[in-house]
Amino acid sequence: MTLEGWVPQINDYTSLREVVDFAFDYRGNTTVVKRDGGEIVGYIFNREADAPDAFIQLFDEQGDGPFTIPYRDIATIKFTGKDTAAGNSWKAWVERKEKERALRAAASGVDRLGRDPGPDGG
Amino acid sequence: MSVPVSQMYTVASYILQQKIRGQKRYPFVLMLEPLFRCNLACAGCGKIQYPAQILKKHLTVEQCLAAVAECGAPIVSIPGGEPLMYPDIDKLVAELVKRRKYIYLCTNAILLKEKLHLFTPSKYLTFSVHMDGLREEHDEAVCRDGVFDEAVEGIKAALQRGFRVTTNTTLFDGASPLRMREFFDEMMDLGVEGMMLSPGYSYSKAPDQEHFLHQTRTNQLFSEMLSKPKRRWKFNQSPLFLRFLMGKKDFECTPWGNPTFNMFGWQRPCYLLQEGYAASFRELMDGTKWENYGKKSGNEKCRDCMVHCGYEATAVDHTFSSLKGFAETVSVALSGKL
Ligand code: SF4
Ligand code: SF4
Repeated sequence: MTLEGWVPQINDYTSLREVVDFAFDYRGNTTVVKRDGGEIVGYIFNREADAPDAFIQLFDEQGDGPFTIPYRDIATIKFTGKDTAAGNSWKAWVERKEKERALRAAASGVDRLGRDPGPDGG
Repeated sequence: MSVPVSQMYTVASYILQQKIRGQKRYPFVLMLEPLFRCNLACAGCGKIQYPAQILKKHLTVEQCLAAVAECGAPIVSIPGGEPLMYPDIDKLVAELVKRRKYIYLCTNAILLKEKLHLFTPSKYLTFSVHMDGLREEHDEAVCRDGVFDEAVEGIKAALQRGFRVTTNTTLFDGASPLRMREFFDEMMDLGVEGMMLSPGYSYSKAPDQEHFLHQTRTNQLFSEMLSKPKRRWKFNQSPLFLRFLMGKKDFECTPWGNPTFNMFGWQRPCYLLQEGYAASFRELMDGTKWENYGKKSGNEKCRDCMVHCGYEATAVDHTFSSLKGFAETVSVALSGKL
């Protein structure tokens, strides 16, 4: 599931706070639409919803920043950038490995390790 | 245990000083991430998924050193991304050595051989090479063929030039205890100083979500792998943490034990969870709702976590907090039985 392409409308059902939370969790660029009509594209890396003057922080598309924008100035946030956590290259790699393994197993009669591809971590 | 006496002494005296001062929360290892860029894209990695402009950025050496000074931890671990891709890695390491910080440079070792000339062997510097098993398992884990062999080449070259080298291994569901025992033998044959083990953390951003270990499976896997450990196996971590992974001890997380600093600031609350950033180390320590994290908190995200950056600090603290903990650590270290 990815939020890529989502253009939320802030209304009685979807609060700005929720949209900011999704955007903070999103691993891709978003477009912050301001109440004055201005837009800024960038990666939102921080948000302080409980601060006296709640704010988000982002680095723009050039990597400049951090820029701080108060919640009160935000009309909505569009999920315009590619979701970098979608993991497609890994899926392609696993498929290729599975094919290779099946071929090897067919050649030798067994799957030597008998295990699924295992991941690695940070 | 394979940690040099000077390092053990530094850590022990640091912890005792904190205790004498009555510090309730103190850092033990600073996780310093100078960049997020990497030359691999491992399936279980939750660290490298950022847009291009973020991957291109990195901290300056001055920012890194300021964070080291602010935090004060005696050990600095440099993960990433791949720290050998950080353009000023040599300067950063040299400055940390000057400050007598014990450095664990966590690398996948693809670039290790060609970058070794940038460093000088020192008791303060250890290359902690990411190795997730024997050739087949490791190459699968990192999603690229040939990486195991490149890493072995890098380890050999580093050892030949007199560097300290350890390995760090993340285990996932499906790992074979027998193959892991063979892996320990192979690493010891290579001549590494010690090995570090940890179960993987189920990063929600990691591409492979199926193979993260849950607590009972972690206990089972580590028990099968580590019961009757061979005397020649050396682990570069607290034996009490390994006992915890085997289900022989129950610990609560110490999320402030390994604070993380990167280009976004001080990560709340820990290396694994990204719930926001504090602008200063003090703000991280004083302004984080620590009661919301760890198993007792009931936080879903902490439920199955048994990762070293949350629990190793607890194990080390336990060693120095009570005679019982100290005696247990010494007895495991002397007997070699976990
Ligand atoms: S080598 Fe480390 S940082 Fe790079 S992708 Fe793999 S786990 Fe992530
Ligand atoms: S239990 Fe794990 S995820 Fe939760 S705070 Fe501790 S280290 Fe972080």
